[in-house]
Amino acid sequence: MLTIKNLHVSVEDKEILRGINLQVNAGEVHAIMGPNGSGKSTLANVLAGREDYEVTQGEVIFNGQDLLDMEVDERAHAGVFMAFQYPVEIPGVSMATFLKSAINAMRVVRGQEELGPAQMLKFIRERLRMLGMDESVLRRSLNEGFSGGEKKRNEMLQMALLEPTLAILDETDSGLDIDALRIVADAVNKLRSPERAFIIVTHYQRLLNYIVPDYVHVLYDGRIVRSGGKELALELEARGYDWIKEEVAAG
Amino acid sequence: MAITTSVHTQKDLLTHFQQLALQMLGSNGQQASRWATLRRAAIERLPAVRFPTRRDEDWKYTSVSAITNETWALGRAVPIAAEDLSRAFFDGLDALRIVFVNGIWQPELSTPLSEWPKGLTLQPLVEAVDRHGNEWVVQVLKQRLSHVNPFVTLNTALSQDGMLLQTAASACIDLPVHCVFIATEQDEPFVQAPQLFVDAHPNSKLTFIEHYLPQGTAAPRYFTCATTQVRVAANAEVHHYRLQREGAWGRQINYCAVTQARDSRYYSYATDLGGMLVRNNQDVILEASNTETFLNGVYLLGGEQHVDNQTFMDHAVPHCQSNELYKGIVMGKARGVFNGKVLVRPDAQKTNAFQQNSTLLLSPTAVMDAKPQLEIFADDVRCSHGATIGQLDENAIFYLRTRGLSEKEARKLLQFAFVAEVLDRMPDEPVRQAVCQLVQDKLDELS
Repeated sequence: MLTIKNLHVSVEDKEILRGINLQVNAGEVHAIMGPNGSGKSTLANVLAGREDYEVTQGEVIFNGQDLLDMEVDERAHAGVFMAFQYPVEIPGVSMATFLKSAINAMRVVRGQEELGPAQMLKFIRERLRMLGMDESVLRRSLNEGFSGGEKKRNEMLQMALLEPTLAILDETDSGLDIDALRIVADAVNKLRSPERAFIIVTHYQRLLNYIVPDYVHVLYDGRIVRSGGKELALELEARGYDWIKEEVAAG
Repeated sequence: MAITTSVHTQKDLLTHFQQLALQMLGSNGQQASRWATLRRAAIERLPAVRFPTRRDEDWKYTSVSAITNETWALGRAVPIAAEDLSRAFFDGLDALRIVFVNGIWQPELSTPLSEWPKGLTLQPLVEAVDRHGNEWVVQVLKQRLSHVNPFVTLNTALSQDGMLLQTAASACIDLPVHCVFIATEQDEPFVQAPQLFVDAHPNSKLTFIEHYLPQGTAAPRYFTCATTQVRVAANAEVHHYRLQREGAWGRQINYCAVTQARDSRYYSYATDLGGMLVRNNQDVILEASNTETFLNGVYLLGGEQHVDNQTFMDHAVPHCQSNELYKGIVMGKARGVFNGKVLVRPDAQKTNAFQQNSTLLLSPTAVMDAKPQLEIFADDVRCSHGATIGQLDENAIFYLRTRGLSEKEARKLLQFAFVAEVLDRMPDEPVRQAVCQLVQDKLDELS
């Protein structure tokens, strides 16, 4: 589904990613871990299409298409979704208006008919129920005044409604208490399917207690320095990141 | 020699206006009445009127040469088909209608007086003065003779029709009054000078809408020189919508004066979408304590539009609240002006006055002049004002685009959201929805 080859990315002439290689297949859950400043969020944002990053080398192929050549909204239409580390607060745009606009924009490009008000409400209600969320959220402005947990839960709601084929969670667990963490994990687990892949970017192993990954990759200094199964995450939890740093330094 | 030329032109224009006004007065054949005397006094004052220049502080950002350089005829009553009116009315809004065409009241297009509800009366101003001896109207028209704003004098001299809307004491009028001012194409550019007087008696409640638009989608050449006078008596409540959709050529200068008595509430919702040159003057004079005033404004400007909002809140007495929120979007080569003056006089202790003007400036050639002006002479008051000029948040655009919205859709959604804060304050749902739709249409047109 997603193939990243020798990806180099700079921000303001500073090289952040220095040759990333990654293969993600449908149905897989990949965790990307690493210490602060290793380039985890840069990778997530480059995949979503943020413009502040300059790709200097390499390529990203998503379902046969050159992802880096696609506009931000085209990537969304193709099935890429990113749950933000810091979801943007947008006063004046109600959740209901926003969700309807996004769902129908997606449906139109996918050649489906727009949902009418009744069908739309039914669909949104069903997903709210799936995530155990209250309908009153629809009357609020998008993310405005939401607590950290509410914002992340809202990202999960959007993921459930937009039904991406590749979902990237950018440090969705940061700043969450254990209950909010469970809610996020629960949403991911409910949406896991053989057609859908996840890339979960996280600093801590604790989220992976609830979302069991197929693969764990350690990103350090702009490169994936180690890959393994779920047990690698446990090892990182037990030993921290220093031994990885030392191994890399030793060459 | 440019100054000489312009003085000469102004004098010619005023003489011309005076002749037009005298013809009109003569044709009414009522020279002896009280009404005609008041009109004649205004007409006699015309030669002494001096149009403002950019050297006048209150007109620093707005030139009226698009008005003073033209030669104007008077609006004529022309037949207008009922279907032409459909653009003027809102879906789902049951309202009492007052229709003006080119400044002339059209009773046959308006709600018949027999169908007006109990507690609400409508009278042509001439009847209010000559038949009913309405001293309030007389007094206001007399005061206007020496008004500092020359367009107020011009309106008094040139007005072909004016209406007085009155609530009875304690009448709560459920139906809004929808006043439509339609302009049609004439052979020459013309002036329409409607007058609207609204008198809300004690403990009454009234909603009225002023709605300016051209016939069809043409761009007739006209100048709306309108005045509105509102008196909110003790414990009365007035909701005043003003929807300005003048045609692309249209010019409008209006003057709205509001006086508020004890415990009264006045809410205005002004939306400026059309017009080439528009100047809104909104004065609110608080005459007794414990009043509440909200002035809400939205403006969406593109092309070479120029819209100037002047507000004046006069806190003369203690314990009054005022709240002003004007938000707008300026694109293309358009220019917006906001000049909000709040005067808190020495006696006006415990005043609570808030003012905010925020503008999105979305093109390098668009201009916004924001001038909040607080003059506070009392020491125990809470007053605040703010003016911001900004662009759309690129992070928000990125966020929306990651959810599948195109850049254009994302920008439009954020633009609408920016002004929605003001639109959401409109309490009448069918009116709010109609205005929201017109705002969306204008955003589509501008994007």
